[in-house]
This record gives sequence, C-alpha cells and structure tokens, in this order.
Amino acid sequence: MNMSGFQQRVKQAKAENLWLLAGLTLAFTPHFFRLSPLVMLPGIILLCWRLLFELRYLALPPRTVRWLLTFIGIFATYIAFGTLVGRQAGVGLLVIMLCLKLMEMNAQRDVGVVIGLGFFVVITVFLFDQSIFMGIYMLLVVTLLVTALIAFSRDQSEIPQWANLQKAGAVLAQAVPLALLLFFLFPRIPGPLWSLPTDGAGAGTGLSDSMSPGNISQLSDDDSVAFRVQFDTALPLPQKRYWRGPVFTQFDGRTWSNPYPQNLTNRLSINSQYQVSGEPSLYTVTLEPHQQRWLFALDLPATIPPDSRLSVDYEIIANQPVRQLIRYSMRSFTDYQLAKNDAPDISRYLQLPAESGIQARKLAQQLRQKVTDNAAFVQTVLNYIAEQPFYYTRQPPLLLNDPVDEFLFDSRRGFCEHYASAFVFLMRAAGVPARVVTGYQGGEMNPQSDYFIVRQSSAHAWTEVWLRDEGWRRVDPTAVIPTERIENQQDLARILPEMAGVGAAPNWLKKMGRQLNFGWDRINHAWNQWVVNYNTQRQQNFLSRLLASAGFDNIDWQEMITLLVAGMALVMTVVAMYLLKPWNRQSRDPAQVVYERFCQRLSRRGMQRQPAEGPLDFSRRAGQRYPQRARDISNITALYERQRYAPYPTQKNLQRLQHAVRNFIV
Amino acid sequence: MSHTTTRATTPAMSLRQRFSLERFFTGEGPEPGPIFLAQRRVYILPGKMGVYFAAMMLIMLLGAVNYNNSLAYALTFLLASIFFIAILHTYRNLLHLRIDVGQAPAVFCGEIAQVPVILDNRHNAARYALKLQLRDQHHVSIDVAGDQWQRNNVPLLTTQRGRHTVPRLTLETGFPLGLFRAWAYAQRDVCYLVYPAPDQHHRLPGESSYHLDLQGDRGHGADDFAGLRNYHTGDSLRHIHWKTVARGQGMYTKQFGGDQATELWLNWDSLPKLDTESRLSRLTRWVLDADTAQLTYGLRLPDAHIPLGTGLVHQQQCLQALALYNLDTDISSP
Repeated sequence: MNMSGFQQRVKQAKAENLWLLAGLTLAFTPHFFRLSPLVMLPGIILLCWRLLFELRYLALPPRTVRWLLTFIGIFATYIAFGTLVGRQAGVGLLVIMLCLKLMEMNAQRDVGVVIGLGFFVVITVFLFDQSIFMGIYMLLVVTLLVTALIAFSRDQSEIPQWANLQKAGAVLAQAVPLALLLFFLFPRIPGPLWSLPTDGAGAGTGLSDSMSPGNISQLSDDDSVAFRVQFDTALPLPQKRYWRGPVFTQFDGRTWSNPYPQNLTNRLSINSQYQVSGEPSLYTVTLEPHQQRWLFALDLPATIPPDSRLSVDYEIIANQPVRQLIRYSMRSFTDYQLAKNDAPDISRYLQLPAESGIQARKLAQQLRQKVTDNAAFVQTVLNYIAEQPFYYTRQPPLLLNDPVDEFLFDSRRGFCEHYASAFVFLMRAAGVPARVVTGYQGGEMNPQSDYFIVRQSSAHAWTEVWLRDEGWRRVDPTAVIPTERIENQQDLARILPEMAGVGAAPNWLKKMGRQLNFGWDRINHAWNQWVVNYNTQRQQNFLSRLLASAGFDNIDWQEMITLLVAGMALVMTVVAMYLLKPWNRQSRDPAQVVYERFCQRLSRRGMQRQPAEGPLDFSRRAGQRYPQRARDISNITALYERQRYAPYPTQKNLQRLQHAVRNFIV
Repeated sequence: MSHTTTRATTPAMSLRQRFSLERFFTGEGPEPGPIFLAQRRVYILPGKMGVYFAAMMLIMLLGAVNYNNSLAYALTFLLASIFFIAILHTYRNLLHLRIDVGQAPAVFCGEIAQVPVILDNRHNAARYALKLQLRDQHHVSIDVAGDQWQRNNVPLLTTQRGRHTVPRLTLETGFPLGLFRAWAYAQRDVCYLVYPAPDQHHRLPGESSYHLDLQGDRGHGADDFAGLRNYHTGDSLRHIHWKTVARGQGMYTKQFGGDQATELWLNWDSLPKLDTESRLSRLTRWVLDADTAQLTYGLRLPDAHIPLGTGLVHQQQCLQALALYNLDTDISSP
C-alpha cells in the first residue's frame, strides 16, 4: 500500500464518519469479549466494510445483499442466544442492527441516528460492567462520538480535525459540572419500573449453589473482591469472622445442595430460637454482584436487609439475584446460641444417600460407641482428623466413585469442602444432625482506609452440628489440621485465622505490591460508594448530611429539584459568561476607543480637542504644541483614519494603532 | 462601505416589542445601518436532531431507572449536560456578529442576483458553519475566523423586473453539535435592480425606427446632411460641426442620412402588437444587440426618452428605464 496514497484517502474520507467508526469500534470492544462470536464476528466484518468504503476501497452492498445480511444477522443472534429478547440477546441485536445500518448510512440524517445509537451502545456496556476503568474508557468513547457530531455539524468547513476533537473536549469539560449536579441532585427513582429480564449477565464469580468436593482438582486463587465491609463497631475477633452464605443440607453421594428453601420468613424468631449475648456488631456490607441470591453477613445475623428474607438455615436470601453492586446495613451477634431447646426438623439434617460411604458409616458408628454423648463424639471425630494423616492441599486428586470413602480412607488430601463434607457425613451417620455452611472466612482491613475487604480467595466451607442443650454449634473441621500438614504455608492464614500475619516476613517488593493493591482497592471502594451504589437511600443520606447545617433535616424530592434547578442555573450562568462575554459587545469601533484614549491623554495636558475639530486639524494643532511628539501624533492620526475610513479595516492596522497609543507619552 | 463608521444601532425596545411574536417570524424589517446581532435578535430552538437526542436521553433515563444502573444515569446526565451546553455554543456562534448587505449588481429577470453580505466578527472566537439564505433560495455555508470580516455573495433568484428591496437575510447555524438551530434575521434597506428578461434574438428594427426628423433620407448616400446632434466621445473628427465649436456653442456632430445603419431609435410605439412585458423584453434584447453591434441608439418609452448614445453607461441607463417602466414607485417588493 502506498502510504501517501493511503493518507490521501484518509484525508478525503468524510471526517465525521471516521470519528463515528472509531467511537463505535471502541464502544463495541467490551461486547466483543462478552457476547457470542456468532454475533460479534459479523459486527467486526461490517465495521471493517464501512471503513473500507469510507477509504474508497470497497462499495457498499446493494439492497438485496443488505436484506440478506439483515436476515442472517437476526438469525445469528437467535442461534447465539436462543432468543431475541433479554439483556444479552437484546445487546447482540442492537450491535448487529447498528452495524447493518452502517451499510446504508448515506443521508445526513442517518449519521445523526447512528451517533445517537452509539451512545445507546455505551449504556448497554454499563449493564455488564460498572467498574471505574469502564467508566473512564466510555468517557473516551463519548468524546469520540461528540467529535463525530461536531465534524458532522461543521459540514464542509476546512478545519483541521484536531480542532474538532479540541472542541469536543471543551464542550465535555463544560458539561461535566452540570452532569455532576444532575448525578448527585436528580431525584433517584427506586427501580425497576418493569420486570427485568431474567437472563444472567454472564457467569459471576463467587460461591455456587451446590458443592461437589470430589469434582474439583484445583481450587482457584481468585483475589477479586467478594464484598467490602465498613464496621461501625469494633472489628470482631479473627476467629469470629465467619461470613455466612449458602447452607447445604442435602447430599446425594457426590453433591451437597439446598434447593432454595420455600419457607422463607422476614421475621427473626429471637424469642424461641435465638439467644444472644455481648454487644452486636454493626456494619455495612457492599456486595459485588455475584448473580446469586445470597447476601452475606457475619454469623449470626440479627437483622434482615430490605428486599430479602431469611431461610430456616439462617441464610439471607435476596428477592432478586444480585446483578449489581448493593449495599446493606447489618447487625450481627458473634456470640449466640441458636435453636437451643427446639429440636430442629431432625430428618432434614440426618439425610444420607443410601448407597455411598459404607466405610464411613462404619467408622462413625465405631467412634460413636466409644463416647457417651454427641458433644464428645464431635471432639472424637475432630481428633481423628487431626491425628490421622490428613493433608490440606489446594490441588486435591479427583474422587471418582465414592467421594466420601475415597477421601476419608484413600487420598486424605483436600481443602475445606472435603473436610466439611466428610465431617457432616460422619455426624449424620452417627445420628447427629449436621449441615454444611459455606461462605467466607476472615478478610483483611485496608490499612489505607477504614474498611474491611473479603476476597473470593477467602471462600470457605464449615459445618454446624446440633447438640441438645446447646443448639447449633459451629465446627470447622479444616481448622484442626496441624500446620505441618498444610501443603503450602501460604494457606496457613486461610485455615487458621489466628495465624494471619505470621510466617516469613514478605520482601519489600511484595509489601509495595500489597500497598498498591490496597490503594487501588480504596479507589474502587470510593467509586462503588459514590458512583455505582449512589441510590435513592444514599442520595437521601448524603444530601441530608451535606445540608444539615443549612437547616434541611430530611430532604425531599421537591427540595432536590429546587436545589438542582438553582445549581444548574448558576453553572449555566457561569459558562454563559465565559462563552458569551456579554460585556464584550464591542459595539463601538475599537479604533475609536483607542483614539479617544489618545485624546484623553492629550487633554490631561490641557490639549483639548474641540467638538467640531476633525482628527487631522487636531493633529496639526497638537503637533505644533508638542513638536517633539509631532511625528507620533500624526502617525496615530493616520493609523486611526485608515482604520476608521478605509473600506475594510484590518486587524493588523488596529494592533498597530493600539500599540502606538499605548507607547504614546506626552 | 459604511460599516466601520456607523455605530451599530440597537435602539431600546419595550418589553412587548422584545417578546413580540412578529419579530420572531418576520424579523425587524429593513434597517438603515449595519446590523448588530444583539442578544435579543438571536433566536434558538432545538432542531430535528435535538428532538431525536432528547427522546434518546429519555429512553436512556428510563433504562437507568429500571436497571438502577448508576453509570447509565451518569451517561444520561452527561449527555443532557452536553445538550444544555450546546445551547450556549450555538447561540454564541451568531451572537454579536455585524451584518451588512451591499448593492447587488443588476441582473436580468430570471437570473440569479449575487447579493454581497459582509459578516464582521469582532470576537476572537471563529464562527463556523453559518448558513446565509435569502428568502427560500439556496444557502451558502461559510466560516468567519476570529476578529475578521468576510464578504460573501448570497444568491437571489429574480422573478420580476424593477427595483426591489433585498429581502430578509436569514443567518442560521447548528454548530457545534447540530442539536440546536440558532437563527437571526437581517434586512438592510438596500435595493437591487432587475432588468426585464431579454427576448429571443430578433432582428434589430429596420425601417420603423428612423429618426422622425429624417423623413426621405433613407438610403441616400453618406453625404446627405441630416442634422446635428450632441458630440459623443469617439465620434469621428471629420464629422464635427466646427462652426458651432468656433462660435463657442458647444460640440456637435454632423449627421448624415447614410449613417442610418449605425444610428438607431428603439421605440416603444413600434411594437403595438405585443403586451407591455413582451415589448419591454424585445426592447431589452434590442438594447443589448445594438450595444453589441456598437450602434448609436436611443430609447423611447411613453414615460422616458433617452437620447442617442453608446457605451456602458448609456446601456445601463436604457436598461434601467426599461426595468422601471410604468412602476408606480421606485422600490417595490416582488
């Protein structure tokens, strides 16, 4: 390709279309990685086609081909998603249709339509990702689309394109203060207005709704944040930091599960089941979207967040899957007794699959016969795990036939799920009601800020056994493994919360990495609090707090609108002053203004210009009075006359006049 | 050009005048001096694109509410803010411009007059994509750099002979975002002249248009003295009547019957069969042809009499007489 020829083509192409294509390509890019290639591939091809058309390498397809492409596009979307409605399919359809519109974008009107739809694509990206990075990235896309709009309205002007980009930057910069006002003051309406489509926004990271210990040969080491917590009270002790999530009661030999419990309640039955002691922990959880319905809380939750309910196993279950970042305030008692006197629905917690774990059942019965009560039996089993050569590893062997027996008697290598699963099996085999609890354990304070981070790598599984006179007791079988049998010393902190911070001192590079990590997390947390999760309630709190001194107690939406309108009027006035410069009308000829200054200077010396005296006469008279300045005076007069009476005055001449008057001294 | 000397006039307006709907639709009427686009003279409303974008933003807001998506809110609000800021930018693109309309060269009816329009931008910000349009004619799109003036010709299709006031000029702009349309009206009290449309080629009048005083002189040799007429530049020295010069009575040229081919009277009355406009058309054609043939010619209309002559000024005199024939006033609106 001849480079200069290529540049020529770029120069001759319609600028607004090139800006538009650049903006659209960037807007589509996040979708390219998310949606099916069946949809995105045709999209890329059509974008390239349009680009080649703009550079005059290719013609646009004729009408029949366009129709065919439209049909194929819709069909591909349907094949890829199995439907044409819903979030994913809807976005796929929007992308395909927009790319097809590029194939027939001829009229001026079409360009405007496509630019508008480009902004729409940006919004669809936010449905999947509201991270700070995406926000900044999309600001870039918006800049490109606004530049396209400017190039488009500028028509055939021969202005360098960077000037358009600059203009877009200026418009955006002026728009940002207004946008901030709108963002914080526009009354947030609690959604949704209509029912949301039920398709998920792709796989979320987080706990799953079932647990199959033998099926996982590699526990991922995902350091992404599960949720962040701000404590209003003191931090709970490390050994109390169990964040309760899904509880599993049903085992089929391979998989623990708990179909969403039907009998959810929105009442805490404190009197009968629930006895607490000590001070409650008060805190606010900011939960990252994980596409499931569980909300996490410190064991044991004493409140139920709005739009959620409680299951009999004390899981907090939201009414809708958590598809977006949410915040909720919680109260928990870390010292509690649950179901002390009420026998739980026993059969539920004793269920075992008939044909698996034959050896394990035998073991359970043997051990149970040695002791008198269930509490002692729990201890016996824990001792068994501690004494027998059980190892903690994150790369356990696969357990193919009978996971419980294979783990207990063969491999003896596994992580928390294996231990929790085996432990509950042994309990139930001996007639002790038990259940598997999953969630997160531990977490760390962000040393650069005031909140607590719980990461996906802190996911944990433990158990609860029901003992008469004591109720449900939390037992963490993984914690009894001696430290020397933990394969990787880095896992120590995961298993034994007390051990956090113990071990080899990290080198400075690691320290710095950690500091950076915490700094970045802090920014993310602020972004989440102030942007992503700025909702009706937070708006209410923020504005009330902000305006408490101005006498607003509880700000309502009318007051918000009033404030918004006043604020916008103020900002608009400032921008209008800056742009329009109403004082700078210059309805007077600038030359005259300068000349009058010159006359004034002379009149201060008593050289008054007579009302009927023309500039030339005046110049002659003044020249006679100040012979040393005669040349300057006649020069200024000549410049003034030229500027004032020539057919067309020039800027250069005016500058010369201004300069001469400025330097004029009587 | 007077636009440097005259202070732009912005007379005080009563509130009622300021907000009168008539101003909005028709403008201010013809004005004597250059026009300064003060704030009250620039109008602005959303254009088609603006309405489309507003609708888009409404849908986006609904989506943001429905999905409770903060960044969707943020984007919607950012676009809405851009929308508001665009008002100021578009408005500024016209504000404080000075406009003057010059004299358009006369044209024949049916041709396009080029009306010179001077735009004087005394702000340092450039004005982009200004559309200038006279009535419903084709527009010209121009940019004016900061602190510059610029002269542009705006086309105006002529449909009627006579002297007309240049119609209202509309300045319009959608820059920078095309979401809003700002416009202003400017009408100066300047006129343009439209000559009648020349007829098809017709032979120049022959016998019918001899000088009435020269009866019996036709075709009788070059030396038949026919009379005297005023001297015109370019007349042969041999034909000057030196006697009158010597007497101090002025320069006269002797005319001979044989010069009939170079001397022509174009007479209204010689075309009795045609209606008024067709007669004017025919006479216009003859004036043009006579000038091309470098004949000496005069024009007789019922209300005007232009003596024999040649040259550009003479031709324009004749054409102007034809253009204004039988029109009540000097200035008329088509």
